Amino acid sequence: MSAAGSRATTRGTSKVTVLPFGHSFECPDGESILEAALRQGLFLRYGCRHGGCGTCKAVLTDGDVEGEGSSFALSSQERAEGVVLLCSARPVGDCTVDVEAMELTDEEFRAGDQVGAFDTEVVAFEELTHDTRGLTLALRDPGTMTFGAGQFVNLEIPGTDEVRSYSIANAPHVSDRIELVVKLLPGGTFSGHLRSRLAVGDRLRVFGPLGELKLRLSHRRVLMVAGGSGLAPFLSMLRHLEARGKPRDVDLVYGARRVRDLYRVEELERLAAVLPGVRFVPALSEPEGEPWAGERGLVTDVIARTYPTLEGYDAYLAGPPAMIEATVPVLTGLGVRPANVRYDAFVPARA
Amino acid sequence: MTKKKSLVEVHEKSKSYDWDYPEPDPKYPSRFIIPKTGKDPFRMLVRDYVRMEEEKDARTYGFLDGALRMQVAEKTEPRFMEALKLTLPDLTNAEFQAVAGVGMIARGIGNQELRQGYYAQMLDEVRHTQLEMSLRRYYVEHAPDPAGWDIAQKALYQHPGGHVSLALFQNFNTGDVIDAVINLNVVVETAYTNILLVATPETAVANGDHALATTFLSIQSDEARHMANGYGTLFAVLQDESNVPLINEALERHFWHSHRGLDALVGWQSEYGAVHRPWVYKDQWQEWVADDFIGSYVDKLTEFGVEPPTRLAKVAQDVSWIHHSTALALAAIWPLNFWRSDVMGPADLEWFDRHYPGWAQVYGPFWAGHAAMADPSSGRLMLQELPSLPPFCQVCQLPCIMPRPDLSEIRVFEHGGRSIAVCSEGCDWIFHRWPQAYEGRKSFWAKYHGWDLADVILDLGYVRPDGRTLIGQPSVSLETLWTIDDIRRIGFEIKDPLAG
Repeated sequence: MSAAGSRATTRGTSKVTVLPFGHSFECPDGESILEAALRQGLFLRYGCRHGGCGTCKAVLTDGDVEGEGSSFALSSQERAEGVVLLCSARPVGDCTVDVEAMELTDEEFRAGDQVGAFDTEVVAFEELTHDTRGLTLALRDPGTMTFGAGQFVNLEIPGTDEVRSYSIANAPHVSDRIELVVKLLPGGTFSGHLRSRLAVGDRLRVFGPLGELKLRLSHRRVLMVAGGSGLAPFLSMLRHLEARGKPRDVDLVYGARRVRDLYRVEELERLAAVLPGVRFVPALSEPEGEPWAGERGLVTDVIARTYPTLEGYDAYLAGPPAMIEATVPVLTGLGVRPANVRYDAFVPARA
Repeated sequence: MTKKKSLVEVHEKSKSYDWDYPEPDPKYPSRFIIPKTGKDPFRMLVRDYVRMEEEKDARTYGFLDGALRMQVAEKTEPRFMEALKLTLPDLTNAEFQAVAGVGMIARGIGNQELRQGYYAQMLDEVRHTQLEMSLRRYYVEHAPDPAGWDIAQKALYQHPGGHVSLALFQNFNTGDVIDAVINLNVVVETAYTNILLVATPETAVANGDHALATTFLSIQSDEARHMANGYGTLFAVLQDESNVPLINEALERHFWHSHRGLDALVGWQSEYGAVHRPWVYKDQWQEWVADDFIGSYVDKLTEFGVEPPTRLAKVAQDVSWIHHSTALALAAIWPLNFWRSDVMGPADLEWFDRHYPGWAQVYGPFWAGHAAMADPSSGRLMLQELPSLPPFCQVCQLPCIMPRPDLSEIRVFEHGGRSIAVCSEGCDWIFHRWPQAYEGRKSFWAKYHGWDLADVILDLGYVRPDGRTLIGQPSVSLETLWTIDDIRRIGFEIKDPLAG
């Protein structure tokens, strides 16, 4: 595999064969395997479409591709085993990819992309913190979305064909709207739009729901670790637990720098009070000079301090890649089985 | 060459081979509402089924010839081969009960598409029975100590370890058909066969038995289709909401019972029947049962109202202990076994305590005693050291020392004029919810109440061709073997702990 960015110059097409279906299609130079497949009425699992989430992993069994996703979505071992991200991989000549791990039936593969497209209207635009905005979109057409707590949507940046991924923060039973948490990034295309132009009443196009993150059934206690806008999927899960009335034992460790970076704290405290078994642990890494009675330190420190062992826990993480990268080894070191660690890395799109 | 018919045409034609039963009503009436629609999950296979199975058979039987030349039976760890004398017939019993089970299911499901899948499954289950019997014939002919293999199936049905298998697998063909599907296809085959047939071959290979590994992997290659049968049927009955509480109750019952029987026996084989242990049983359970079955399969069904078993957390706790307690009981009754038990040496003790912290304190003294009494010259049996024999659970048939002898959750009550024991709250619930399914089973201890142990062994027929040397021994050493005279000299009398 060659490095990202060295786009082929000669125009032509490559034949892509998809296993286990044995189906082939033509992929024009410069187009990703995923885009070409979806455009031609086939379906392959995908998420963020910019190499950040790892949902579209497949094994390259023959031929060559170029283009890599975030170093975060694929481990070095996966790379060595020939795993590629179909949203980023562009064929260099004919190639074969095996998508067995996506567990698609032949019917699903040939049915094309069933992920919905929604016209939405901005009904609330809220300043959650100095650099985080809450965006509530009423679904206009279609008027409802069936999604699972933990899933995300792709939001189209107005005037472009680019999308950005955001987790849904509301519970699935509220199906006529979606609530998103957006972190403003310096120089970000969508951040700029949010800062300067977005207003209540604007129409936005949304695709989804997407993603595999969900609170799975098990007998184990649950440890959720959230950082920054990574709180959104956990808000959805906890609100969902409240609505279903089926309690689970959950500890939510929520890390931020300073008091001014925290949001939705009152609601989380309320949820912890009304849901038996749910504990809310906000933690600040830089609370110097502020009145703060809660935990201090990075989430990794707080976890190491709080739990002598995490054997018998399921762990879920969402937030900045650096936080996830640092936290996963702490969790497995304390006894969480690696298979029971699940996360959504909020990888910023490459500008 | 004639034009190949499309798969759809073949599938439609295959339906014309269905028939009506002269007595269409199932043996046991179903409480479920079974819709007429539902897809045959095998339909991709009508053309290839026989060809595929024939090839798999040829490979497995071919390997047995190779095993002969490679001297697999001779090179297998004796400890592994001996434990197999119980667990392989236990499994053959499961296959056989499943043959009868899918027959009952096919007849009871008035849905042609689903029925098609069960017909094919019946062929599979017969195939599995034959593969296992062939493997056992290979062991009879080539195992260094074949005693026990020659009488294995008869011996099994008389032995408490076989009663565990009977109690569990007779449910495949006794009762409501959908209940049987949830037991066989959903709980046993979907949740548990991966530990048995994917993980156990690894243990077999580590202990030298490539023949068992080959047979099990061939069997496992059919299980995905049986899981699909279960899923297809579950989806069909989920179309009617009134079925949901019945599904949840069946899942609750069979999940608990399968845990008791399978975690005890498969855990025992993989850790006490092994010298080399490639994995820890409780970890396999976490992966296949907790993560895959509950976390993925049941999880997906929750949106249709299916609930995880309420005793899941209790099962997860007990999985760490019940096979150790089973091992203790089976070693304590070694003269009544039709295989040689083994002593656990320092390397075993270290391994157990490392992977199951606290093990040494609970089980260590027992194994020290067992080793000390292994030679006939000791003149002692562990049975003499017990304050009384533990009753067998009326539901799962495990000895009532579960999850651990020091934490026994035994419950004893009067029912139909006799004392009944159950090992746990879970089995207590099952007994009282379906008393007619369990109340008739006789107790092993009651049958032999007042007998001398030597006479019990002779009655069971667990002696070698000389008529006096026991098949069961306390260790796999063949140097000094216990005889019926050694046992008679001790004068141990069986006392039914539940006798009034």
